[in-house]
Amino acid sequence: MSWLSWLTGGQTPAEAEQARLASEADARRLAEWETALQRGRLPGFVAERLQAASAGRTPWLTTMTAAELMLARSHGIRPIATVSGTCWFHYGYSWTKGHSAGWHAALSRLKLEAAAAGANAVVDVKMRRINLDIGESMDFTVLGTAVRFDGLPPSPDPVVATVPALEFARLLEAGIVPVGIGIGAHYEWLSRGGNLDGAGSFSNRPLTGLGNFWERVRRIAHAELRRDTAAQGNGVLAHTHFGQLFKIENDDAPGRYLGRHIVVGTIVDAPRRLPVPHGIEMVLDMNEAASPLSTASRHGHTAYDGVDQEGEI
Amino acid sequence: MSNTDQDLPQHALERLKGLRSQGHPGGIFTSDFSVNEFLLVRKAGFEPVGLCIGSCIYHVGIQYGSWSKNQELDVLSQAMYHARELAMTRMREEAADMGADGVVGVQLTVKRLAWDANVLEFVAIGTGVVHAEGSPAFKGPKGQPFTSDLSGQDFWTLLQAGYRPLEMVMGSCVYHVAHRGFMKTLGQAGQNVELTNFSQAMYDAREIAMERMQNEATEARAEGVVGVDLHEGNHVWEPHVIEFFAVGTAVVPISSEPSASKIPDPQLVLSVNS
Repeated sequence: MSWLSWLTGGQTPAEAEQARLASEADARRLAEWETALQRGRLPGFVAERLQAASAGRTPWLTTMTAAELMLARSHGIRPIATVSGTCWFHYGYSWTKGHSAGWHAALSRLKLEAAAAGANAVVDVKMRRINLDIGESMDFTVLGTAVRFDGLPPSPDPVVATVPALEFARLLEAGIVPVGIGIGAHYEWLSRGGNLDGAGSFSNRPLTGLGNFWERVRRIAHAELRRDTAAQGNGVLAHTHFGQLFKIENDDAPGRYLGRHIVVGTIVDAPRRLPVPHGIEMVLDMNEAASPLSTASRHGHTAYDGVDQEGEI
Repeated sequence: MSNTDQDLPQHALERLKGLRSQGHPGGIFTSDFSVNEFLLVRKAGFEPVGLCIGSCIYHVGIQYGSWSKNQELDVLSQAMYHARELAMTRMREEAADMGADGVVGVQLTVKRLAWDANVLEFVAIGTGVVHAEGSPAFKGPKGQPFTSDLSGQDFWTLLQAGYRPLEMVMGSCVYHVAHRGFMKTLGQAGQNVELTNFSQAMYDAREIAMERMQNEATEARAEGVVGVDLHEGNHVWEPHVIEFFAVGTAVVPISSEPSASKIPDPQLVLSVNS
């Protein structure tokens, strides 16, 4: 090996130059992400990609199925691009409140991308988390398809709908607009003395103290959901609940209880008493197995399916 | 169903018989279609020819990122992309050998093999179909069979919406998510804060995967990509390494886009089963 190739790790000068340029480009890209996240805007290359898709210079991307595409087209809805938002959040003082803050940050970033794509709405929004075990933190990711309505100007504040395009179009026909995602989260410690969980007792009795505490945690989470909803619409559909009640034992003190509850829903703006503009046809489904006619479609918030990990409060 | 064949022009019947006898002596086709899919594919004017399979067992090279750096792991990204591409190409070759115009209902899976964590098996399976009247207008890019992960039902619906599939497009990015330094971890103890370098890693990796998929669609001269699915996987790597994989079907209008009013309005039905 010549001294030159030894110095450059076995690369030719041209290869070394290429590697240097590639590494500089990587560093620039990372720096651009950092600045963008800090300032609450999009990196130039992301905005460029979305604007190109919006102007029809590059192909549109959509999470819609063929059936959804057909219905979207017949209702004048055009897909532009898949958009996303991510916020990796570290829980310090509250795991529960961290969830609320993390999802809200991710949602506002999703809207940023949708606005850059000149969209009126984002449909089929899924809340996801990625199973990477990085202690006391979690990523909050929302993904969806930015769409534009024929004849409407781009919206500076696009509507975020967790329902698929198929149901989005159906709701719009009925005058109902899914407008966003509402989140309510509450946690509380209970360290009152006394035997709250009936340990050592042989009799049947309701655990009123603990029950009231748990009820209160849930009620406050729902009240927060209502507050979150009121800012955007007048109703919430398709709730996802996630609640946990823990007892933390301590040798030299009475046990403490922790209750936490998170509730997530799709916010709708639904005027009362608007008729559905379609007749309904009664059918008898001869299918023995599960059929789309007899089972509800699965959609919406998937992030809390099977959550069982513990975190710091 | 047999009546449909009777109505076909003679040249189409001859062509079909010829196509079938190449890969399947005796005119027997194989397919993983359900009955509903089969009927709807036929309703859309296509006939199944045979199950097309492409597989690739791939040794994934070893590459570690810097402990504290967000970066794409090129060796792994290329391996995941290359192996899937090989499986898809082999499936498409099998379809071309059968004389198929395209492959629908493609399932692309990755399996881990028991004897070595770095050996992965990539399999692409779908049903090769031909246009019953022999129309050449449904081929994919460069006269090759089109490929699509749409089910038989979705294939019918897509054609009704005025589009035809070109090819499955994908983008893959394996990315190393940086570790936090001890001092940084200590500084954030007890606070609710965003870990921006991790957020940034997730964003960047997904952005790269989507960009690649979009480039593939542009190359295929598609108007758009339908059914985009973003998978996040870890496969066999260390905990801070993740793969973003985007896959969808690139589509193009059949002739010109139909006006919205031409697309039939579906009827609402209520199942009285229960």
